[in-house]
Formats: sequence, structure tokens, C-alpha cells
Amino acid sequence: MTLARVRAEIHTWGTVIFIDASSGKISEPQIQSAIDGVRDFLYEVDEVFSTYKENSQVSRLRRGEIAITDCTPDLQEVWALCAHAKEVTDGSFDPWCVEGGFDPSGYVKGWASDRAITMLKAAGVEHIQINSAGDLSLAGGVEPGKPWSIGIRHPEEAHTIVKVFDITDGAIATSGTYERGAHIKDPHTGMIAIGARSATVYGPDGGIADALATALIVAGKDGAYLFQKPELAGYHCWVIERHSDEAWSI
Amino acid sequence: MGAKRVLLIAGGTIGGLGAVLSITPPQFGTASSGGLGGTLLGGGSTTTTTTPAPATTTTPAPTATTAAPAPAATATKKATTTTPAPAATTAAPAPAKAKPSGTFTGSTSQTRFGPVQVQITLVNGKITAANALQYPNNDFRSQQISQQAIPYLVQETLAANSADIQGVGGASYTSQGWYDSLVSALAKAGM
Repeated sequence: MTLARVRAEIHTWGTVIFIDASSGKISEPQIQSAIDGVRDFLYEVDEVFSTYKENSQVSRLRRGEIAITDCTPDLQEVWALCAHAKEVTDGSFDPWCVEGGFDPSGYVKGWASDRAITMLKAAGVEHIQINSAGDLSLAGGVEPGKPWSIGIRHPEEAHTIVKVFDITDGAIATSGTYERGAHIKDPHTGMIAIGARSATVYGPDGGIADALATALIVAGKDGAYLFQKPELAGYHCWVIERHSDEAWSI
Repeated sequence: MGAKRVLLIAGGTIGGLGAVLSITPPQFGTASSGGLGGTLLGGGSTTTTTTPAPATTTTPAPTATTAAPAPAATATKKATTTTPAPAATTAAPAPAKAKPSGTFTGSTSQTRFGPVQVQITLVNGKITAANALQYPNNDFRSQQISQQAIPYLVQETLAANSADIQGVGGASYTSQGWYDSLVSALAKAGM
């Protein structure tokens, strides 16, 4: 069976979001039209959630100009989901413990990618990859019966692949100190996080995977116990140690 | 990017830079393979091998294949499980479906550090060369990144070609830009 396939790059959030979408049911123009809808959504997410835009709702929320109840339903949803993520990570992921106030950036990429998957699926797209600068949400495999093969980059050597995961449906998020330097603070101590050099988490939900990856950078192996929680039963991790070239996984 | 592809060692500069690739990663949703443990990049114990090259390569390899030593800093850190694939691969029998050959230029991908544009050369649907037509070079940091990045990018492209990877997790801005431009070049080639 030939699949209609459209690949697109969307430049927003200060980065590139890559979409790979194909379907055996709908045509290329129909896929393109669905991607256009996703593009509008992602632009809107940037307008609402960017901490770099002075007049975004998140920036106004951070300055105390508006309350969470004044915000869009999407932002209220993310606020609640962040509270949940903080709870399941026992505070290792804490978007409220950020200089300048509530910063959901560590959750939004995964959340928005999942939403994009839902939108494309609703339009009839069956095989979807949303790659938000290295955090991916995936659906339906690359083609019927074949999972997406996703390579994980080396923490220091940006262009070397150290591991490949085959995933049909779900999300995979990698957090590290490489992208923006050491930028993740341990909410418990206020110090720069030192738990791991690179943490990859895969599981059903993009926002949770994103949050857990951040949590493991903070907590390192001390965060391994989180994966025993019943609500995280569907999640796995692959983590590169802080001071050695060793990895551990759950 | 359909058919399984062969790792090509396109020349001395690339031969020594082995990517560490797993072809038997844990399946999503299944029990993890091995739990705690397993070394990264340390050599023996990782489940890391590149896809073996099918024996469809009949042209003798040029002598300069894997001889070039990787830079010391990388050689010691990587488990260089490079498949000792023959360097030339163009002698495969004519495939049922025509596979593209030629040079294809990807779209320019804007990254945080500047534009990235990739050009690839395909022989019967296989990438035999990849290079950067554009890459960020407008400030010191970008130059540092670019100078290191381009050889790795070429290597990654060839390795990814081999492993049939469709995405990169934890990607940096420049490597994502490279990958996007690469995908665009492949799309133009009809792959």
C-alpha cells in the first residue's frame, strides 16, 4: 500500500519542530491541510506560553498581572498538569521553583506535541512523528507494522547517536545539560542539577516524559524509585551517568 | 526512507568515526532489557552493533577505508562498532523499483545558530556523500560548533542512513537543522 506522506518544518518556540505525517486513507493535500492546523496551534502555544515574549499570558502570569483563572483553558490545563507532574516526581520537576516564577517550558513541548498528534489523528493521519527539537511524540509507527526508530544523541558530541529506540506509539523526551548549558536547577536545593548528563524517558504521555527527563537530570539514580509508582508504570528511562560513560535504564 | 540501507564508508575522514548504534533496542512498552547496568560507550558490553552490510557489495573497496584514526578525543570515548563495510556499494543488481542517483540539495533549515543546508549524493538510493552547503559561522561559538559538527554530521548522516533512523532525540539546534535539511534532500530525491 502506498502511503501519502508530508514532511514539514515549523519554526517557532525559538527552535524547529519537525512533522512527518503519512496516511493510507487521506491524500497529501488533506495531510497538508491538517498540518496547517497544527502549525496554527503551535504558533498560538508560542503566543500564550513563551517566557521570552513580554506579553504572553505566561509572562503576565509570572509578573502577577493576571491570575491563572484569567488564562486560556490551555494554560489552565497545563498548570494543572504541571501540578500533577510535580506531584508524581515528588518535586524533582517543579515549574514553580524557577527564577521569575511559573515556567511550564519543561512540560509544554511534550504536551503540545501530544496535542498535535491528536489533531492529526482526528484528520485521518495514521503515522505521525512530531519532533520538537529533540523531544518526540509518535503515533502509528513509520508505516504499518514498523515502529519509528529514534536515535538519541551523545550528550557531548551533538552528532553522534548513542542509542536507538523503536517506538510505535508514545513519547520520548531527552533532557541534558548540553542544549542550553547547565540550566536545570534542583528545586530542593536551588543548586544546578547534577544527577545525570543525559536522561531519556519514554512512555505514553509527552508532558510526563518531558517532566520525568528533567526530574532525572536533577535526581539522577535517586530518581529511579519514581518509576515504581503505579501511575508511572508505562514509563521507562535510559540515563547517562554524570561522571562516567555508563548508562542505566529502567 | 524505506529500504534497509548499507553503511557506507565514504573515505578516510569518515571511516574512523564510528557511531554507536543499537539495532536491538528495547521495544516500547515491553520489559526493559537488562534493568540497571550496561555501559555506555565503554566497549564490550553494550548491545551496540551497526546493521551488518548485506553482501550485495561486489566492487572491491578502495584501500583507504577504515584506516583513518578518529581524533583521539572521540576514539577513546566511543565504542567504535563500525561495520567494516566495503567502501563501494554500487554494484547491486538493478532493483525492482528505480532508486534515485544524483546530487540533491535540501532546503535551508534555520537554527538558533544560523542556517544549515545539506547536499547529498545518492547512488542507487544510497547516500554516498553528505556535506554542508551552509552552516552557522557568524560568531565564535557557532564556528566552534560548526568546525566540530560538520565531520560528525557527515558521519551521522551515513550512520543514520545505515540504521534507518527517522528522528533524533535530544538533538541540538544544529543537528536538528541538519537532519531536517537532510530529510528534505531525501524527499527531493523521491525517497
